[in-house]
Amino acid sequence: KKPSPEKEGGEGRRGDPQNPGKNPFHLTAEDVYDISYVVGRDLMAITGDSRDVATRVTQLQFKIVRILEMLEALVNDCNVTVEELRMERDSLRKEVEGLRSEGHASFPEVNPGTNKVVVDLTDPNRPRFTMQELRDVLHERNKLKSQLLVAQEELQCYKSGLIPPNNSQMARRDPEALITSTTNSKEGKQEKTIIRKLFSFRSGKRT
Amino acid sequence: MAKKTYDLLFKLLLIGDSGVGKTCVLFRFSDDAFNTTFISTIGIDFKIKTVELQGKKIKLQIWDTAGQERFHTITTSYYRGAMGIMLVYDITNGKSFENISKWLRNIDEHANEDVERMLLGNKCDMEDKRVVSKAKGEQIAKEHGIRFFETSAKANINIEKAFLTLSLLGSCVDAVFIKHRPICPSSGTALATDSVSYST
Repeated sequence: KKPSPEKEGGEGRRGDPQNPGKNPFHLTAEDVYDISYVVGRDLMAITGDSRDVATRVTQLQFKIVRILEMLEALVNDCNVTVEELRMERDSLRKEVEGLRSEGHASFPEVNPGTNKVVVDLTDPNRPRFTMQELRDVLHERNKLKSQLLVAQEELQCYKSGLIPPNNSQMARRDPEALITSTTNSKEGKQEKTIIRKLFSFRSGKRT
Repeated sequence: MAKKTYDLLFKLLLIGDSGVGKTCVLFRFSDDAFNTTFISTIGIDFKIKTVELQGKKIKLQIWDTAGQERFHTITTSYYRGAMGIMLVYDITNGKSFENISKWLRNIDEHANEDVERMLLGNKCDMEDKRVVSKAKGEQIAKEHGIRFFETSAKANINIEKAFLTLSLLGSCVDAVFIKHRPICPSSGTALATDSVSYST
């Protein structure tokens, strides 16, 4: 004759004759309808007793109905979500298995020899340039660096007054020679210069 | 009377395993500075330093090579033309010492026959981490008939001495039989600074 046990039963706890000890997380919409039926039947039984009780119970009934509706919506939504997740999990599992078997199958093709490297094209630090390209860049860097040093040295000579401005012709020839000294004929000339320098060095004289 | 910025140009080369301190040795000599951060040399680089030996101004063009195996095809092409080669190992790294014979073979294969060689055991300030004794270094140097120094770029030990000794060795041999030796592979274009002289 008390409404409280029914309410507790509606929350899926013990006290509900239809669903004894049912875990609320395992409730289905059917369970909610069963609870709703039980609560409704009990309320009807109370209503038969007196008029005063009847109005109060009717008010209570609306409240309970609203709660049950909420519960119904929650349970339905929950079940749908669980079903969706389960389907997604299954499809992902299949996808992983597919990729795995595919990967095993294609691996020998990707790695044809022991001395080959597989390059990840999305890696920003992947190797990109050839040894020859690096060699060329380094060669050019060192060439420019040496030219810069010569130019700086010459500038220093001008600044310190070692070379008077009117004698600039002489000095200007050298950096030019440096840049254009690719030809073999130039090398012969340089050889002479060094030997001459060395011999004068050995005999203790300065040119 | 004629004046010039230098009397002779010497090309020296630094070789040895990666991380033994070749760049630091050179940096100490050229700029008298030291940097603890390790930056692996890419391929090949050089620095210029003018020194005075026996009253002559000698311009040293010192080539610093990458020790890493992957750069070897580039670095070995710079061996030819070097008048002196410094082979550097790290006294705290046994492997770098074991590889000396490999580097010496490289010199035999790629450098000029009359190149002056020198062996340096670098990082000698790190006595607590030493794994190669000084005696072992001296012994291997003696076996190959080359000069040997233990150096420290960090503590500035024997750096200048080593470079000056190598320059002196080079000048003694080359003074009579010097040839024009372009250090750059192929033509030796840009680095033919030998003939630069100024007169007043």
